Amino acid sequence: MNGHTNHDRTIWVGSHDAHTLDAVSAVNPRRRRRIPGIAAAVGAAIALSACATDAPQDTWQPAGENAQKIHDLQWPVFLTAGIVGVLVFGLLAVTVLRFRDKGQSMPEQTHGKPVIEYLFIAIPAVILAAIAIPTVGVVMALADTDDTECVINVTGQQWWWEYDYEVEDDGTICGFAPTAAEAAPIVTSGQLVIPADTKVLLRGTSRDVIHSYWIPRLNGKRDMVPGRVHYLRLSSETPGIYAGQCTEFCGLSHANMRMETIVLEPDHFQQWLDNELEPYTSPEEGTLAAAGESTFITQCSRCHQVNGLVDDRGTDDPDDDTLVVSYPDQFVYSGAAPNLTNLMGRNTFAGATFDLLTDECRADVWEADPEVFGERYLAGVTEDCLNEIELREWLRNSPAKKPMYADAEMLTETDGKTRGMPYLALSEDQIDELIAYLLERK
Amino acid sequence: MAIIERPTDTPAVVSPDAAPAVATPATSYGVFRRPVETTGWKSWLFTIDHKKLGIMYGVVAMAFFVIGGIEALLIRLQLAGPDGTVLSADAYNQMFTMHATTMVFLFVMPMAAAFANYMVPLQIGARDVAFPRINAFGFWTFLFGGLFLNTSWILGGAADGGWFMYAPNSSVAFSPTNGVDFWALGLQITGIASLTGAINLIVTVINMRAPGMSLMKVPIFTWMIMVVQFLLLFAIPVITVALFLLMFQRSFDATFFSVEAGADPLLWQHLFWIFGHPEVYIIVLPAFGIVSEVLPVFSKKPLFGYPLVVFSGAAIGFVGWGVWAHHMFASGLGPISVAVFSVATMAIAIPTGVKIINWVMTMWGGKLKFTVPMLYAVGVIVQFTIGGLSGVTHSVAPSDTQQTDTYYIVAHFHYVIFGGAVLGLFSGLYYWWPKMFGKMLNERMGRWNFWLTIIGMNLTFGPMHVLGLQGQPRRMYVWTENRAGDGFFNIGFWNLIASIGAFVLALGVLLFFVNIYVSHRKGTQKAPLDPWDARSLEWITTSPPKEHNFDRTPTVGHLDEFFHRKYEDRGEGDHHDYHQVATAEEIIAEEEAKGDSHIHLPSPSYWPILLSLALPIMAYGVIYNIWLIVGGAALALLSMYGWGMEPHTAPDDDYDPPAAGTELEVAAHG
Repeated sequence: MNGHTNHDRTIWVGSHDAHTLDAVSAVNPRRRRRIPGIAAAVGAAIALSACATDAPQDTWQPAGENAQKIHDLQWPVFLTAGIVGVLVFGLLAVTVLRFRDKGQSMPEQTHGKPVIEYLFIAIPAVILAAIAIPTVGVVMALADTDDTECVINVTGQQWWWEYDYEVEDDGTICGFAPTAAEAAPIVTSGQLVIPADTKVLLRGTSRDVIHSYWIPRLNGKRDMVPGRVHYLRLSSETPGIYAGQCTEFCGLSHANMRMETIVLEPDHFQQWLDNELEPYTSPEEGTLAAAGESTFITQCSRCHQVNGLVDDRGTDDPDDDTLVVSYPDQFVYSGAAPNLTNLMGRNTFAGATFDLLTDECRADVWEADPEVFGERYLAGVTEDCLNEIELREWLRNSPAKKPMYADAEMLTETDGKTRGMPYLALSEDQIDELIAYLLERK
Repeated sequence: MAIIERPTDTPAVVSPDAAPAVATPATSYGVFRRPVETTGWKSWLFTIDHKKLGIMYGVVAMAFFVIGGIEALLIRLQLAGPDGTVLSADAYNQMFTMHATTMVFLFVMPMAAAFANYMVPLQIGARDVAFPRINAFGFWTFLFGGLFLNTSWILGGAADGGWFMYAPNSSVAFSPTNGVDFWALGLQITGIASLTGAINLIVTVINMRAPGMSLMKVPIFTWMIMVVQFLLLFAIPVITVALFLLMFQRSFDATFFSVEAGADPLLWQHLFWIFGHPEVYIIVLPAFGIVSEVLPVFSKKPLFGYPLVVFSGAAIGFVGWGVWAHHMFASGLGPISVAVFSVATMAIAIPTGVKIINWVMTMWGGKLKFTVPMLYAVGVIVQFTIGGLSGVTHSVAPSDTQQTDTYYIVAHFHYVIFGGAVLGLFSGLYYWWPKMFGKMLNERMGRWNFWLTIIGMNLTFGPMHVLGLQGQPRRMYVWTENRAGDGFFNIGFWNLIASIGAFVLALGVLLFFVNIYVSHRKGTQKAPLDPWDARSLEWITTSPPKEHNFDRTPTVGHLDEFFHRKYEDRGEGDHHDYHQVATAEEIIAEEEAKGDSHIHLPSPSYWPILLSLALPIMAYGVIYNIWLIVGGAALALLSMYGWGMEPHTAPDDDYDPPAAGTELEVAAHG
């Protein structure tokens, strides 16, 4: 469910027109005027579709400019197809009822009537031409990227997405200048955070097989192909969390390759940006989390980067801190692993497959109204809200929770490198420590 | 050459039970004798009779239909509830890959080949196809290819990359079992079967039509089959190239699809869909042909706009080559390509729509009899129209980027393939069953079969429209409650309905097999010679037809030749008054009485099946051991040599005396 279902189901029937008021038109009155007022039957047909607000990946519930363009194009096509269907079935029904064998004499052995035949070529031709012209227009409009305001790199990998925010020439990220720190590239995964009212252009590729980036409520899908760079626009005026899923079959855990796009008000986005760039702070000495830091360094940091994490074990010299830099290309066939610097700032993990929030806390964020969404999202995952059960299961045996090629027997063709996260044989104590450590990563 | 000789003054009777009389001349080339059995298992193994081959195609296709259906049921069981545990992710991926591969390549295509083999020679008044031994080779190659493909299940796992097998996911690093190797090699083998069949049928239809049958008098089913054979002729080489590249990629370390070596993964997609889109029409046009035969018969009217249906079939065949990239609207082709292919895709809806309207207009003004074949034919009109209309919604490229790779597409093509092709094939089964087996299928049972199938398919595939528009992608082995929604359109409810529907559908299909049993029990009546008051040539002979099809090669004066022999219009001017002037029995008796004195039929042969057998042996060799390739190649060479050197007839001493009681006089010919 999205955060504004109450609006979605509203159907406004005016004196001379009838149409639905969907999520976008609720905040954007211009949209309402653009939908032509036509017969009440049309309104009813759309009302039916507007009821379809159930699943988070509903394709009939646009929440952004690009998806809206598609929607404005597609509903008249659905409607036309429906009407044509009714007419054909009506004709067929009349034929079946009227001409069933009631003992009438042998019908005339006519081979056809050219007028009818030409007519039935002409009618669909005209209808299809009427559909074709706006189609070409929308195809071109969706491909137009001249007014892009923010470029973000997105890379698919079995079975998660990585986002890479570059620092622009003017020292900003996505048009926002960091408040305290100096701007540096931000690398995250799973949840893509974008500012509202900003025309974002994703520049996408893949590190292994073909994946497809799809946030239905924001735009159609685009395949991300290794060796190629493809572009996809996203934008929304409504803060919220928009779910999506990889739609190009990408192997074993294709079903577990999800993603969300988070739309934040500009000041919330600024806050998010500043938080991402905050320097690393080690857990307090002697805490469980501090133990977790060492465990993380020994067990996780070969693949998973935590920005600014230093390894000062085995030395008494406080100046001899070695920056921990992970090297996933040594272990992971596709070459990368999710950056965990601010894991608890996102609310899903493992390719956005599992929730970091318990069901209640999740509902608070996912179904929040646009006005309060930003605050709740930025609060991140607290200890009370942590979906500890699934996170534990994951740390205990990740390939059992999400099928991956992590078994030595399967790895003959990849020089022993895993595809996905291997079984680490962590002890329960180590898992306790790691969770305590990870809870501070936000 | 078996020669059936009969003095023309012998009074002939309709004697379908009489075993074909075979007489053979006295040439023999040592070991290369030809088999002569007309009964028993050898008569099937070495047969080159298009009717026997047609039946074998049908039986094997039906067996694969059952296998593909079981795969489908497992898929639906897995998705019936959240977090399904019936199948592992790995098994699920194999299941949907093999479900599609089996249904497309091992059921629908060979089932159409079954009808094409059996009916095309009969419909054009020929005694067999142009190259009977190649015909046998085609069947065995298909069978061995299909079996080879399915042995992967017990040899380490089947292919798991989806039937579209996109690169680079099909490479060894991403699919380390031998499944994809089996897939690539198996489809190359079945491709050989399709290709030889295509050439055979094209030559047959062009060269072997009965006297008087000009192209515009060719029955519509034969026309559609011919269009399909041309599509196969040009499409199979393309997929073969792709499969060949894939085989080299996987087995011999080539880098056609290795991105790190500079390959572009879109190459595979273009190759696959240039084959894959014509394939859609390869699948559906035979069924269109069947429907176009059945509707006129049960409407008692000729096909409305026959020339237009022929031309629109041909037009679909041509335009079908220009729309492949509509499978790739999300692939990142760029807006110009997308716009062009989008408009081309809309264009192909026009000839398709023409067929639908012509079918309805065929029924309009007719005298409709709703037998089971007719029910299925009307079912095609309804279900295929739904599939066609949802097809229009994703010809709109931007709209397709929301729909592609979701269950909406799954819904669409199942309405087209099941609602169009499979229902059409069932219509053909019921319609031609008495022709092929001399028994009527039980009508009552057939109605149950039909209605359960229709209800089942709509329950299964209808909800998939909802699932897709709600954003459920294809090929996901599991869905979670958390992301399923909770309103009327929640994914959980509709997945459950689809799964229930799948079992209703399975029950419906099962009834077909029950019907075969019921209809062939002891004591069931023989089918009348012309049970449907049919219109085309295949009914101007006994049921099942004798080995030589027609005692006299029929001469054709009309499109609906059989109808015009039975009925005469005694009306004047615009007033029509049709009188029956002859019964089927009388017409066939007359044909027999004036039977041709020399009927030349080819003898059976050992070599087609042996040559076919060589192919999977070589394919196993590609996967396991190079010496198997050598062995297989040796068998292939031997078989070709035998094929080339065997006498064109069976020798004298293999002569089978004709069965007692036959009225035909048989003479040996030198």
